[in-house]
Amino acid sequence: MEGEGDAIHTHKLRKEYDALVAVDDLDLKIGRGTLYGMIGPNGSGKTTAIKMLVGLLRATSGTAYVLGEKVPIKRHIARIGYMPQEMAVYTDLTVHENLELFADLYSMDDEAFAKREENLLGVIDLIDRKDGLVSQLSGGTKHRVSLACALIHDPDVMFLDEPTVGVDPELRVGFWKYFSRLKESGKTVILTTHYMDEAVRCDIVGMMRLGSLIGEGTPKELMNSTATTDLESAFMALSKKVSA
Amino acid sequence: MRVDRVLAIAKKNLRSLRHDRRTVGFLVLMPLLMITIFGYTFGGNVKNVNVYVVNLDQAPANESVSAAIITYLQTRDTLHIARIYTTADGVAFATEKVKDADIWASIVFNETFTEDVTKASLDASGQPAMIGLTIDGTNPNIVSSVSNELLMAIRAVLGQRAFIAPILVVPDLVYGKDARFIDFFAPGVMGLAAMMVTFMLSIISFVHERSTSTLDRLLSTPVTEGEIVAGYALAFGLVGLVQSCVIITAAILLFNVMIVGNVLLALLVIFILGVGNQGLGFLLSSIAKNEFQAIQFLPLILFPSILLSGVFWPIEAVPTLLRPVSYFIPLTYAVEGMRSVMIRGWSVDGIWPELLILTAFAIAMLVLSMYGLKRRK
Repeated sequence: MEGEGDAIHTHKLRKEYDALVAVDDLDLKIGRGTLYGMIGPNGSGKTTAIKMLVGLLRATSGTAYVLGEKVPIKRHIARIGYMPQEMAVYTDLTVHENLELFADLYSMDDEAFAKREENLLGVIDLIDRKDGLVSQLSGGTKHRVSLACALIHDPDVMFLDEPTVGVDPELRVGFWKYFSRLKESGKTVILTTHYMDEAVRCDIVGMMRLGSLIGEGTPKELMNSTATTDLESAFMALSKKVSA
Repeated sequence: MRVDRVLAIAKKNLRSLRHDRRTVGFLVLMPLLMITIFGYTFGGNVKNVNVYVVNLDQAPANESVSAAIITYLQTRDTLHIARIYTTADGVAFATEKVKDADIWASIVFNETFTEDVTKASLDASGQPAMIGLTIDGTNPNIVSSVSNELLMAIRAVLGQRAFIAPILVVPDLVYGKDARFIDFFAPGVMGLAAMMVTFMLSIISFVHERSTSTLDRLLSTPVTEGEIVAGYALAFGLVGLVQSCVIITAAILLFNVMIVGNVLLALLVIFILGVGNQGLGFLLSSIAKNEFQAIQFLPLILFPSILLSGVFWPIEAVPTLLRPVSYFIPLTYAVEGMRSVMIRGWSVDGIWPELLILTAFAIAMLVLSMYGLKRRK
């Protein structure tokens, strides 16, 4: 089966909204156990690409496979986790109730949920506020709850859209350590970020601009190929090259 | 469809309500307020309507039919006879008082009233006796109460004197013996409240799900569109049911409302109506971009339902041109079904057409809602 060995495989994946091409014939091949960072400015197609991969948007053309199953996936849907860019948590529920809802939707048993909840609340540093209403938490803290909801069922592939936005620098470092641990345990993490300095922690970085992938490789490869010393400069150099 | 996931969605919606005390207060108090206000405004019989009487009848007091009618009216509490004039200038004065809205009506018996009544009863081809009634027609309820009271008094007095009325209609009520107006509209208010709240909760909750992307998150999990729709239907159907229990309890305690049939069957009707209306809210939520736009649908759904579905007056009172619309409003069938249960005492055998139509409406709304969710992909 096409793309069976990869976590993600897309071929000429395209999304058009009338005259606007949001994602332009995207070819991606992301191996299992990879920490993949998608970087690019607003409107570059990162979120649209992720939404197509998790089955929320129908592609105009092209194909995509997640864990070897053609998108929209059904068989492996419980093996993926998705954290939308927006808060996307129920603010009128407590942290625990949010997590329990998603655990129920993934049919987790009570014991597994209790263990996993404790573990995740430790990661997002919210053990003490587990019974507090989400509406009473700060913006960054809500983001942490949102991340925990995406990971509650211990998925194999995680799509995290801007997971570190609004999170304070200290906790952000904690998040990245956690992402690295996930990767080391064989999980695949695909995340988008605005913070280009953060993306240097990824195994592979895909740079997107106007719906197209303008560069892809390890951070080092990208910097070397553009003779730059940071990813932001590498992105600017690649953008200039494509425009020319 | 997996029941555990349906229950998870339903639990989520009910938990959201539990944390929102103001909304819970609204859900309980709103129907309570509705039945109380409607009950006290429309439910009571008209009493102590202020009237003047001008009695110019020249017959001796012991023979006077007009005096007997006046005495009869005074023994009852529908009319309050504030003054009685016996001179001709009282006619103009009483009429002025009606025009000034100081009193509702003036009742005038002319000089030959008793004589005319006697003649008319002996010779049906002669002139009938007349009573002058000048009445403020602002409130049709008052007009009919005054007229009915007067007719009742005339019939009673003529009966006592063995005058034979030309035609006598004796109604034999098949259902609703002793039913009052509140017994007629209480089922309507129950349906109206359940319909309003389930529709409103559903459209606002779902617009919120869309605008905050929690819907995207749900749709990226194994939960299916059908399970989401069923979970919502279960939660908000239950909310409608609880509200109906509040209304029915208040209606019984405050107004001693009539329930001849099985109250559980009436509640089943409400539950199906609630499920259907939450489906409608679900469906319309896809058109609204935010909560403000969602709330604009409320009057669009509410007014036709109040005016055309027979809540406060029968469908037969709806203008012929608009009547077909009544038959497209689910509340029409819910109200009719509940009335049949509560006043006529009918069982499922009697209200199966209404149950069938409401169930079809609910299923159609739920299926269309599911289709609406699928279309996003």
